[in-house]
Amino acid sequence: MNNIQRNHWAYAVFVVPAMLIYVTFYLVPLFQSLQYSLTQWNGINDPVFVGLDNFAKVLTDDSFWISFNNNMYFVLFSVFIQVPFIILISIIVSSVRRFLDFYKLTVFMPSILSTASIGVIWQFIYAPEAGLLNQLLRTIGLEHWTRIWLGDEATAMLAVLLTNSWQWTGFYIVLVLAAIFAIPKEMLEAGEMDGATGWKKAWLLTIPLIRPVIVVTLLLSITGAMKALDIILIMTKGGPFGSSEVMASYMYKQAYTLSDFGYANAIAVIISLFTALLALVFHYINVKTREATE
Amino acid sequence: MMFKKKVKQLAPHLFLWPYILIVLYPLLFVITASMKNNTEIFNDPWGLPAVFNMQNYRDALTNSYIGHYFANSLYVGVVATVSTLLLSTAIAYAVTRMKYPVISKLVYGMLLLSLLIPPASLLIPLYTLVKDFGLYNTPLALIFPYIAFGIPLTVFVLAAFLKSIPNELEEAGIIDGLNTFGILWRIIIPLTLPTLVTVFILNFINNWNEFVMANLFLSNEKLRTLPVAIVAFADKFNMNYGAMTAAITISIIPVILIFALLQRRIIEGVTAGSVKG
Repeated sequence: MNNIQRNHWAYAVFVVPAMLIYVTFYLVPLFQSLQYSLTQWNGINDPVFVGLDNFAKVLTDDSFWISFNNNMYFVLFSVFIQVPFIILISIIVSSVRRFLDFYKLTVFMPSILSTASIGVIWQFIYAPEAGLLNQLLRTIGLEHWTRIWLGDEATAMLAVLLTNSWQWTGFYIVLVLAAIFAIPKEMLEAGEMDGATGWKKAWLLTIPLIRPVIVVTLLLSITGAMKALDIILIMTKGGPFGSSEVMASYMYKQAYTLSDFGYANAIAVIISLFTALLALVFHYINVKTREATE
Repeated sequence: MMFKKKVKQLAPHLFLWPYILIVLYPLLFVITASMKNNTEIFNDPWGLPAVFNMQNYRDALTNSYIGHYFANSLYVGVVATVSTLLLSTAIAYAVTRMKYPVISKLVYGMLLLSLLIPPASLLIPLYTLVKDFGLYNTPLALIFPYIAFGIPLTVFVLAAFLKSIPNELEEAGIIDGLNTFGILWRIIIPLTLPTLVTVFILNFINNWNEFVMANLFLSNEKLRTLPVAIVAFADKFNMNYGAMTAAITISIIPVILIFALLQRRIIEGVTAGSVKG
């Protein structure tokens, strides 16, 4: 038994090649990012060490703070609008018998499609003339509501957020549904006997019982909001006038449009640190409120 | 009384249908628009096509190399996914079934680190790395990063499954004279096959859909993958909606087909993966 489960050679064959690729293409870039963030570098010449200059620059860079606020907007939209909607729809879906599988499969479908296709489809929906949204508004007589959704500073970010929700809401609904169906029947029946039915049952029984999956959903939406890059690049490229820029797309622009790789890497480091910070704050709130309810 | 019960049964459906419509309509629109010409799309975006016109598909396949990009996506997606699975199975087996507790903890910890890092923040150093290794503008520029990004979650899912396999099966294998590789190949892999299928699909869909790296690490048009091609196509011919929607339909069909065939497994895999991750 021991010779089989402690076979140095076999262990090395199993672990070394895979870890070599992972370390080279995941961990090495991570440390390089830290290193480059302390330099001034145009991507071609040798990087010049400048200490924390790039991080100091962030403090006074208004465009960066617009992108930072958009990330916050993204997080708040996910936490206070998208997640409650997900829970509401999941509870409703869990109460039906007919078409249950149909609902589940349909809402899930957008999450497996490419962001590229979805971005292009929604660009058409938001298009000024032929776009479906404006056509719909004209048909129902709300002509004055029509606008160039993605070309208007006031609506571009919201339009992208709604597209992102369209893509991911169903994924989370399926996640929450799985948790609802995993609640032991006896628990719900006991609750019903005590008079908890309908919305009362949902609020007092179901939601507290699926708390762990709600926590996961919130955490995934928060980190998802911090990660957002492809959908912005595809739909608005951060425009108009930087109004839909997020930190990741601003970083992208600094590197590939402005060739300021040092500054771009500093933003990358800030994204990582800030995501970790958000996750920590979230964890803290989660522990505190759990203690309070127990 | 009967009536009241009917209403109560119907109410949730009435509530769900607008949402279902919002989810389905854009997809339905893409498919119908792909069979219309431009005037038809502008004048009657909501209706079904007058005739099922396949001209847009013919155009997309002959004039714009969509077929070629499809092959590129398939090649990169399959090679990266198969490699991810081979390497991840090896790691998962080594850390869960072999007795090297210290190194295994270290390996697992390094993989867990990936959960803390948003992939977007690795993009720029990765770009530099790909250039330094001379991989820029080769399929390997995508294959290696896809493997590296796929390994952690694949290992977590596989390791969770492998832990549940009873030790007795391996002991029986040893009595039958199998060595380490024999046990992995003859006993562990056949048992893990359903889980492997699930993680294969998840990795493949991720790779098939990936945009940012595919857009950045390849500039040669010949090597483009479908997501990049579609966005480029939309930027270039943003008025030719027929051809564009045909291209989109071609790119989403494989994923929808896989989904139709293996929906349950995909849903289980995705939800299990994210709960554990």
